[in-house]
Amino acid sequence: MKKIIIVEDDYILAREQKELLQNNGYSVIILDDFKNPLETILKQNGDMILLDINLPKINGEFLLREIRKETNIPIIMVTSRNTETDEIISMTAGADDFITKPYNPNILLLRIEAIFKRINKEQDKLEYRGVKIDKARSEIKVEGKTVILSKNELIILDFLIRNQGKIVSRDEIINYLWDTEEFIDDNTLTVNINRLRNKLEQIGLKNVVQTRRGQGYLLV
Amino acid sequence: MKLKQYIKDNIVNMIIYITTLSILYLFCRILKLNIEAIISIYIILFISGIAIFFYNYYRKRAFYIDFKKKLQEIEKKYIITELIERPEFLEGQILYDSIYEINKNMNEEIKKYKISLEEQKEYIEMWIHEVKIPVSSIMLMIYKKDEISKVLKPIKTIDNLVEQVLYYARSENLEKDYIIKEIKLKEIINSVIKRNKEILILKKVEIKIEKLEEVKVLTDSKWLEFIINQIINNSIKYLNKEKSIIKISVEQKEKKQILSIYDNGIGIPKTDINKVFNKAFTGENGRKIQASTGMGLYICKQLCEKIGHKIVIEAQENEYTRVDITFSQNELYETLK
Repeated sequence: MKKIIIVEDDYILAREQKELLQNNGYSVIILDDFKNPLETILKQNGDMILLDINLPKINGEFLLREIRKETNIPIIMVTSRNTETDEIISMTAGADDFITKPYNPNILLLRIEAIFKRINKEQDKLEYRGVKIDKARSEIKVEGKTVILSKNELIILDFLIRNQGKIVSRDEIINYLWDTEEFIDDNTLTVNINRLRNKLEQIGLKNVVQTRRGQGYLLV
Repeated sequence: MKLKQYIKDNIVNMIIYITTLSILYLFCRILKLNIEAIISIYIILFISGIAIFFYNYYRKRAFYIDFKKKLQEIEKKYIITELIERPEFLEGQILYDSIYEINKNMNEEIKKYKISLEEQKEYIEMWIHEVKIPVSSIMLMIYKKDEISKVLKPIKTIDNLVEQVLYYARSENLEKDYIIKEIKLKEIINSVIKRNKEILILKKVEIKIEKLEEVKVLTDSKWLEFIINQIINNSIKYLNKEKSIIKISVEQKEKKQILSIYDNGIGIPKTDINKVFNKAFTGENGRKIQASTGMGLYICKQLCEKIGHKIVIEAQENEYTRVDITFSQNELYETLK
């Protein structure tokens, strides 16, 4: 499990961030000692840091530089200061990403995932019932048989696999597609789901995407 | 300073002088001076009179002509004392010193306001950063809970209004606090659509994005995102059709790029269209729908003017509204690249 360190002085916000990340399969530590933040952070040996710019006693951008001197750990700056200058300063000081408050929780999750993906290429390969899903090539494979998925189909399949065994509503799928910048409407979703079903069938997975009337879809 | 004006101004002096000469003539006659002596005296007096008159005229003339000419030429008239030399004659010196003193005093007064304006802006920026923290907390709290659609809408409205204040403060600020860079337009558009996705999905708005791949423009990304967000928010606010469409496209024209944001909403009445960029203008549409401050487009226009984009609006009542933003390509920037 990936360990994320939250450096945020607003306790309520930090706790909410922690809950969000924990619910999505990360282990989370909130930094609450701002006296010697650098040392405390390094001791934690985390996989990523969410760093606020406005911190008590210390400037987040300064802390960012200090951390960078020591380690290459991915850092996302999370801030309410949304000027171009702040972003440029952070990025040149070695931040991996920059998100402004208030942000959409899904987008924070996607950005975190994107960074981990960049570091760890194997994450691009998922498996479902013996079928290999190669996200980088947008393909599904089983013993010599390969089917190419469209971008939307891949995103939908990915989302269904994450929520395997759970009903997901059409709204949730559309929301997720929009977060990945595919602004599709209701009709297009129906078309995409049907195509995805056909493609899964071609590879030997019949009736795995079930329709639940009035509730959504279920990947069994 | 013309000679005529100067004579008119010195008319009393001249009357006194001529009167003195007349009285002197009487004295000469009483003393029974011979005619040659009288003529000599008069020639000397006349020449010295003329000499004094023109000496005074020319030394003042040079100063005042220079003064008026420079005053007309310069835009910032209050720096006049920096451009002219302190004159030799007393009146001019009094004028020069007074202007200098008044200016200094006025500058101090203006500085006070500048500082207080700057402090106010700093406070607004700080306040906004603070207020965004609880808003973020609430957005996280309601994430994945049933109340999401109900609570999210007012929260987004708060967020949007807060941001309007921030950019209002920035647009009124005299200092340059933006950075022009080459930016992929699609990234900004995507980010704005994502910011508004809940309401767009809820209202089943069809998003059409055309010809936007790889289009790059010179702008400040944060400012432009604010501007486009205001426009899209307006589109959302005034949608009224069964099948709502928001279409975003780019047209390349010589050295310019024109971004068009089109919606098939209620449009704008002809009588209002020229006033939509005015400060605090709400118009007929504003009366139909609550929560209209009339500031959104005004701030957009101010920001556009500051960073050198052109913004125009076209609409047909009950048919469509289209906002065009024109970006110009900087040749200097192109060559440097």
